[in-house]
Amino acid sequence: MSDIKIKSKNLNVYYGDKQALFDVNLDLNEKEVTALIGPSGCGKSTFIRCINRMNDVIDICKVTGNIEIDGIEINDSNLDVVSLRERVGMVFQKPNPFPKSIYDNISYGPKIHGKGETKNELDEIVEKSLKKAALWEEVKDRLNEPGTGLSGGQQQRLCIARAISVNPEVILMDEPCSALDPIATAKIEELIDELKKTYTIVIVTHSMAQAVRVSQKTGFFHLGKIIEVGKTEKIFKNPDNKMTQDYITGRFG
Amino acid sequence: MNFVLIFLITIFSLSLFFYGRSKTKSISVENNIKLNALPKFYGYYLVLWCSIPALVFLLVWSLFEPVIIKTIIIETAANQGAIFNDTNEANLIYEKIKAIHLGTYFGDIDSILKESAISYAKFINLFTNSKIVLIFGIIIASVIYSLKKIKNNNKAREDVETILKGLLFVSSLIAILTTLGIIFSLLFESIKFFSVINIFDYLFGTSWSPQKAFVRDASAITADEYEELKDAFGFIPLIAGTSFIAFIAMLVAVPIGLFSGIYMAEYASMKVRRVSKPIIEILAGIPTVVYGFFAALTVGPFFRQLGESFGLTVSSESALAAGLIMGIMIIPYVSSLSDDVINSVPQSLRDGSYAVGATKSETIKQVVIPAALPGIIGSVLLAVSRAIGETMIVVMAAGLAANLTINPLDSTTTITTQIVMILVGDQEFDSPKTQSAFALGLTLFIATLILNFIAQRAVKKYREKYD
Amino acid sequence: MTKEERLKKRHRAEKRFRFYGLSSIVVALLFVIILVNNIFSKGSSAFMKTVINVEVFFDPELIEIKNGATEDEILSADFFDITIETLLKSYPTKNIDEEDGLIDLFTTDAEIEIKKAFLDNNNLIGKKINLEITASDDIDQLHKGNYPRDLPEDRRRISNFQLEIYDNFVESNKIDKNFNNYFFNNGDSRDPELAGIGGALVGSFYSILICLLLAFPVAVLASIYLEEFAPKNKITDFIEININNLAAVPSIVYGLLALQILLATIQLPRSTPLVAGITLALMTLPRIIIPCRASLKAVPPSIREGALAVGASKFQSVFHHVVPLALPGTLSGTIIGLAQALGETAPLILIGMVAFVVDIPSTPVDPSSSLPVQVYLWSESAERGFVEKTSATIMMLLSFLIVMNILAVYLRQKFEKRWN
Repeated sequence: MSDIKIKSKNLNVYYGDKQALFDVNLDLNEKEVTALIGPSGCGKSTFIRCINRMNDVIDICKVTGNIEIDGIEINDSNLDVVSLRERVGMVFQKPNPFPKSIYDNISYGPKIHGKGETKNELDEIVEKSLKKAALWEEVKDRLNEPGTGLSGGQQQRLCIARAISVNPEVILMDEPCSALDPIATAKIEELIDELKKTYTIVIVTHSMAQAVRVSQKTGFFHLGKIIEVGKTEKIFKNPDNKMTQDYITGRFG
Repeated sequence: MNFVLIFLITIFSLSLFFYGRSKTKSISVENNIKLNALPKFYGYYLVLWCSIPALVFLLVWSLFEPVIIKTIIIETAANQGAIFNDTNEANLIYEKIKAIHLGTYFGDIDSILKESAISYAKFINLFTNSKIVLIFGIIIASVIYSLKKIKNNNKAREDVETILKGLLFVSSLIAILTTLGIIFSLLFESIKFFSVINIFDYLFGTSWSPQKAFVRDASAITADEYEELKDAFGFIPLIAGTSFIAFIAMLVAVPIGLFSGIYMAEYASMKVRRVSKPIIEILAGIPTVVYGFFAALTVGPFFRQLGESFGLTVSSESALAAGLIMGIMIIPYVSSLSDDVINSVPQSLRDGSYAVGATKSETIKQVVIPAALPGIIGSVLLAVSRAIGETMIVVMAAGLAANLTINPLDSTTTITTQIVMILVGDQEFDSPKTQSAFALGLTLFIATLILNFIAQRAVKKYREKYD
Repeated sequence: MTKEERLKKRHRAEKRFRFYGLSSIVVALLFVIILVNNIFSKGSSAFMKTVINVEVFFDPELIEIKNGATEDEILSADFFDITIETLLKSYPTKNIDEEDGLIDLFTTDAEIEIKKAFLDNNNLIGKKINLEITASDDIDQLHKGNYPRDLPEDRRRISNFQLEIYDNFVESNKIDKNFNNYFFNNGDSRDPELAGIGGALVGSFYSILICLLLAFPVAVLASIYLEEFAPKNKITDFIEININNLAAVPSIVYGLLALQILLATIQLPRSTPLVAGITLALMTLPRIIIPCRASLKAVPPSIREGALAVGASKFQSVFHHVVPLALPGTLSGTIIGLAQALGETAPLILIGMVAFVVDIPSTPVDPSSSLPVQVYLWSESAERGFVEKTSATIMMLLSFLIVMNILAVYLRQKFEKRWN
């Protein structure tokens, strides 16, 4: 059993008058892939956006309760979200490369955080990040071309490279393969398997097959509540809860 | 007279409507046929036929009548021995004849004028009578034709709709006619101007002083005279002054407008936005003559006094005052457009930047603005085109003399100021001075057209990218 | 640089950036306030005029008519002697210079004002009445506190003797402020105390009315054609590009167009609201077509399909269903276009509306001025009294614009349906 990296306690999220999460208690382990599954609108994306405080961007969103990373409370108005997000990276549903060159897409993060003072250091970071994201071989000759010119799967790996360029501890992935074809999806899944050696990964997915393939631990969300958490094998083979059983066998969702 | 005619045409048309409607109703009842269109469409059909030809004729007639009468009268006056050397004098004599006819002329009346006034009255009478006769002829002809058509017509509605559709199409053509009118009126005088002044001497001349340009006979200009004329119509100081004032205006409008737009789009809460956006847009709704008044009477003297207290000589018509006020007028054009443009940058790009730990301003500076750049450039270009075409502020607050200067405390002049100065008050027709105003207008028209074209392309391209 | 220092620096940059944004908005708002405040503080005094109370004695020896004279007789009678007599009696003078100084305190129209008083009560021969006569511009400005009296005498338009009379009038309560009826009823004048915006108001009204009558129907019909009937082809594209470009053509170019086509070619009368209205209509047309098309476009296709499905023709579906729904947006766009036209100055200057027109125009083909052109004309005048008049004219102009804009916003919010 590995160490607990992220711990949420009685987490509630409101969008205006509407409550989106109800008392979520969930522990995520270090250097492991945790998959979050559940029907659309169940709150799984809302949950991971709490971990790097992306919900701050939405005016009407209010978060109460606790989230700790390495035992330090992060849902605290005094906390600097900029340095939190440096530690907790994120990959989005739709690939969103900046309308800049491939090189600038990767070097953007290190530059703003003051990592890589010289051109050489930056070159090194870019190369390392692209290699880790298994994109280096495909783009090494066209680093100055715009990132938006890549294929969908390549764009998403570019976004993953962008996330690891600032050397985070946690990577959040919000349905990273939903906009991709099966071959690109397979590549990303392979990559996740590789990345978990270095990073703690939380992935939200619609595909139960994907959860089984990539994760060690799975949490099932329904209507803003966490219904069941456990080892992935157990959740999919022998769930405790009737609702989990119904969901994974495709009776609803 | 025309109003009476229009009134009569309306009355005829209305009565025909009721006639046509009841007639078709009774026919359909008597003969027990089912018509394809409702009876009222037969009424409309008659109305359109009765009114449109007559009204179009009346319009065309009214447009050409004065010109034709004038030509005839001037011709007859000339035949009777009236002497005039150019069109200006001819116009003057024509005005006199008209005034005598109306009984508002109090000068001496010689026999030629008297004769002409009598023939003027004769022609006016003849034209009015023939107008009335022709209009009634047209109405009768078109009504007979349409009544005949209606008897064995089963699709009055389609016919009415076809005519109306034609009317709609003609309305939309007015835009093209306006453009043609602009091009024609600018080109017509400009060509005359450029037949006297070489276009390259105009475009690259460095001295502008049209008040010095006296031409006795435009058809025979000696080489010496041309050298002087050339110096009166050099475009360079005007484009320099115009660009200089526009540049000062952009120095004010771009930073303030852009930062306001950014703040509205990225930072302001809905409440702040709802209040401040319309207030800033008030600046765009204030008539420019008000800005001109403010610049000339408050800002200009204020700058001069301020300069004096620092020991500087500031012209009370300084480029700085005009440019500053123009810049303030333009702020809302930059701010609203860049606000719109920034709002249409997809949120996912911002999310991507936040997710690697960028602050809001880093995100705006390095992701949002580069993404929105074509749109922002487009909005700035539109603002530039407003600035160079703006007239009242510079007429009231900028200078009249064409100085080639880059000192913002000096006075300088602009294209639009010169157009107004040349054309205000009495104009001599057919003098290069008057024509030069049209050449300036043509230059201005082409410049703004190019700027707008590029700007609209940039904004459109940008919209397509993120739609 | 340590990590903490770097973070601090970045947050400072963030605050700074935010501050720039906020201060830009504040600067823009501040300017609106300064401008409006400047105009209002200068202009509000123009709505009042200074009057001097004098005693008029209708001396039978100085006047050539009798009690009960007809109106025509009174109007053609000479009241000059009575006027001079009246004015001179208002303060003791020693020599002819002082007499001139005293008479100059009153408006040049004093004779007309006395005649009017006589007209109102045609039974005054041999009687004395108290009458309030409009003061001259200099006294008016002095009384309103706009004229510096501490300048040396040779740099003042008001002599020391005149100041003495003025102080005496103030002490004996002979000076008062009344509502300035001249400002609204009179046409232009060389004397600031008599100058009014009556002519400009009527001129602007006719111009805008003609602009509305011409531009609104054509704009609506053109928008309907382009939005509902036009086939997608080169001609339609060309018309569209044309309209967009026309909307951005500098207004002065429309002045050149009017000069060449309307005045030189068709020979319409110069300086008239008719020409102004046509010019403004051409200029406003594209600016109305653009919002008209937007509001037609906002009507969802389901409305059109619904009408077509019950057997209406394309025309009926458009004119019975789409156009009424788009009307509020169309009207509000038109009003905003007209508001812009109302403030437009440059093209009107070119068509000769800068002429000095004293009479109030009775028809659209009489020479006339317009509100913004009046602002331009007066702002060029040297007299102090015109600064106040100009500002007051701007106040009137701005109030019309505000009313029109509020009306436009109201129409849009009240009647426009929201489509989801």
